[in-house]
Amino acid sequence: MKRIGSLLSLALVIALLVSGCTAPAPSSTGGGEAASAPAETIKIGGAFNLTGELSSLDVPAANGAKLALAEINAAGGVDGKQVELIIRDGKTDPATVANITTQLIDSDKVVAMIGFTDSDSALAAGPLCQEAGIPFITAGATSPKLPSQVGDMMFLTPFGDNVQAAVGAEFAYDRFGPKAYLLWDKGTEYTTLLADYFKTRFTELGGEIVLEDTYQSGDKDFSAQIAKAKSLGEQPDFYYISAVPDDIGTTVKQFREAGITGPIVGGDGYDTPLLVEVAGDAANNVFFTTHALMDADNGSEAVKSFIEAYRTEYGHDPENAFAALGYDTMKLIVDAIQRAGSTDGAAIAKAIEETQGFPGVAGELNYSASEHVPRKGVTMIEVKDGKFTLAAEMVPEKVPAP
Amino acid sequence: MDDSLSRPVSVAQPTTWQRYAGVATPLLLLLLVTLYIQGASSAYIQRVWIILGLDIILVASLNLFNGFTGVFSLGHVGFMAIGAYVSAILTLPLEKKAINLPDLPAWLAHIQLGFFPAILIGGLAATLVALAIGRPVLRLSGHYVAVATLAFLVIVRVILINATPYTRGSRTFSGTPAYTTVWWVYGWALVTIYVAWRVLRSPYGRAMLAQREDRAAARSVGVRVLRSRMWAFGISAFLTGVAGALWGHYILSFSPNAFYFAETFSIITMLVVGGMGSISGSVIGAILVVLLSEVLRNLEGGFSLGVVQIPPLYGMSQILMAILFIGILIFRREGLLGGREIDLTKLFVVDYWRSVFRRKEV
Repeated sequence: MKRIGSLLSLALVIALLVSGCTAPAPSSTGGGEAASAPAETIKIGGAFNLTGELSSLDVPAANGAKLALAEINAAGGVDGKQVELIIRDGKTDPATVANITTQLIDSDKVVAMIGFTDSDSALAAGPLCQEAGIPFITAGATSPKLPSQVGDMMFLTPFGDNVQAAVGAEFAYDRFGPKAYLLWDKGTEYTTLLADYFKTRFTELGGEIVLEDTYQSGDKDFSAQIAKAKSLGEQPDFYYISAVPDDIGTTVKQFREAGITGPIVGGDGYDTPLLVEVAGDAANNVFFTTHALMDADNGSEAVKSFIEAYRTEYGHDPENAFAALGYDTMKLIVDAIQRAGSTDGAAIAKAIEETQGFPGVAGELNYSASEHVPRKGVTMIEVKDGKFTLAAEMVPEKVPAP
Repeated sequence: MDDSLSRPVSVAQPTTWQRYAGVATPLLLLLLVTLYIQGASSAYIQRVWIILGLDIILVASLNLFNGFTGVFSLGHVGFMAIGAYVSAILTLPLEKKAINLPDLPAWLAHIQLGFFPAILIGGLAATLVALAIGRPVLRLSGHYVAVATLAFLVIVRVILINATPYTRGSRTFSGTPAYTTVWWVYGWALVTIYVAWRVLRSPYGRAMLAQREDRAAARSVGVRVLRSRMWAFGISAFLTGVAGALWGHYILSFSPNAFYFAETFSIITMLVVGGMGSISGSVIGAILVVLLSEVLRNLEGGFSLGVVQIPPLYGMSQILMAILFIGILIFRREGLLGGREIDLTKLFVVDYWRSVFRRKEV
C-alpha cells in the first residue's frame, strides 16, 4: 500500500510538471488589475527579488516600474502598441534568479529586461541576457564593474558606488575635516566596494583614516567596534560607516548610546525608513549619499509628482529611492525602444547608449558607448529632527576607477 | 528496523538479469526523459532539469552520511562551497584570473585546469577538510554533531569571506567557465547513486547501519563506530564537493552567501521529504521538492481558474512548501519512503504479476 502511495506521488509530480509547462506566464499591465492585452504588445521582463532578504529594495523598485508602465500605456504605449511588463520573483536565490531570467528570455520572449537592486543577482542574470542579445538595465545594483563583467548589453540606472563614495569623501572632507573613522560590513560586495572607493578618494584628497574596522552583516552587537573607536586618543572628525539597510539603524543607535556624537556618513544603504524608525533621535547628525530625496515637501518637482502618483496607486509613500529608480528604469527602456524604432536587442542597446539628458525622477541620465553606468548627480541627505533633508546636490570632482 | 535488504521475498528469488532489469529500468527512463528534454523543451525546462540533477547529487550524498549513519550533519553546504570555489579558481582562464584575482599566489595564478581534474580536486579538497574535522566532530553524537557541523558551516563562510586573494571575499566570484552540461550532471548523479548503493552493501555500510541502530550493541560486536562514520563522512564530502563544483560551473556567479542556511535547509528538506536512509527516497525527495516549488512559483504570478482570477501572490510558493513539509513531518515522519527502497526488480518476475492479477480476481 505504501509503495502505491509513493508511486502515486510520483505520478502527481509528473502531472504537475506537465501542467507547469503550460502554466500561463504571470503578467501585469499596471497596478495589478487583470489585463486584456491587445493582440500585439511589447514585452519587457521585470526580474525582481520580491521575497527574501532583498525584498525591501526590490519591491519598491518593482512598484515604481509598474507605475511607470501604467502611465506609458495610458499615454498610448509605443507606436500604438501596448507595453507589457512580465514580473517574476527571483526569491533572493541565485539558482531561481537564473531560472526566471531564462524563463523571461526563452518562454516569455521579452525584448528587454529590467530589474534587481544587488550585484549578485545582476551578475547571475546579466550573462544570460548578454548571451541572448537582450539589453538588461539594473534598477538598483550600484557596482560600476557590472558592465565590464557582463558585456555591452548591461546598463545601470543608478550611479556607480565609486561616484557616491567620491561625493561622500569630498563632502565630508570639506565639511567635517581630514580625519575619518572607517567601518564596513565585510559580508556584502556593496559595502566592501563602497568602503574601498571611499578610502581611495579620501586619502587622495589628503585625508587620513585614523582607524579601520569591520563587522559582518547581521551582527547585532557593535560594542567591540565602538570600544576600539572610543579608545582613540582624539576622536576623528567624522565616522564613515558602510552598511546595508537592515543594519544601519542598530549601528547608529549603538554608536550614539556609547556617547559618540560626531557626524556619521554613509551611502544609499541608509536610504530606508528603518534608519529613523530604529535609531530614533540618534539618527540626527547622520549624512548619506543617495539617488533622490524622496520627500513630498522638500523634494524636486519631479519627485513631488512621483510621490503623488505613487500614493494614489499604492496608498502609501514610496518606501525609498529604489521606487524612483524602478520608475526611471521602466521609462528609460520604453523611451529607448521608441527611439530605436525596433525591438531588436542591439538597436535598443544603441538607443540607450545615445541617451542624453533623460529626465529621471532620481536625477538626469546620460549614457554613451563607453559609459553604461550613467553620468548623474548624487544627492547628499542630512537627518535633522528625525527627517531626511537635502544637504547638497553634487557631482564629484574626481571618481576612483571602477 | 526492517529494510529491503533483509525482507523475505514471497516470490521466487529474482535471477541476475531480473535484478539488472530492475536497476536499468529507472535509469533508462531517466535517460529518455533527459533526451526528450534536451531535444524538445524550452531552455527553462532544461535549466530546471539540470538544477534537479544537482540537487539529486547533493541530497543523495548528504543521505550517504545523515541517512546511513544516523548522525545529522548541517554543515554539508560547507563542502559544497569548498568544491565550488576550488574548482572555479582552478579553471578560471588566466586573463580573467589576472583581473578578478590579482593577489593569487604565483603557483595558482599560472595554472588553468580542465573541468574534470578541477571537479576531482574540488571533491578531494572537501574530503581532506572532512577528514580533518571528522576526527573530533564525529566522536560526538546526537544533536552535538548537528551543532558542531553547523559551526563548521559558519567557519567555512567566515574563511571564504576573509580569504580575499582566493575568493574575492564577500564580493561576487564571477567569470567561472560554463562547463556544466546536463550530461556532466546526470553522469555524476549516477556515480553518486552507484557509490551510495555500493557503500550500503559493503562491510563499511553494514557497520554504518549497525552503529546507527544501536551504538553500544554495534561496538560490542567489534564495529568501530568512529571509523565507519569517517568513511561515510569522507565519501559524502567528496560527492558534495563535486556537486558544488558542478553547481559553480552552472550558476557562474556566486558569493559566500549562496552557501549558507538557505541552501542547507533546502537540501535537508528534500532529504527529509524523501526519507532518510533511502537512496531512491533521496532522488524522489529532490524531484518532488524541485518540481513542486517550480510549479508553485509559476502559479504565484497570478492565473485564471475559469471564472475566478487569482491575483499575484509572491512568496506563496514558499509558504505552501513549508506547509507541505510540516504535513510530512506530522503524518509521515520517516519521509515518503522511510528507510525503504523502490525496487523495480519484481516487475520482471512473472510470479509478481500473477499475484497482482490473482488478487484482483478475488
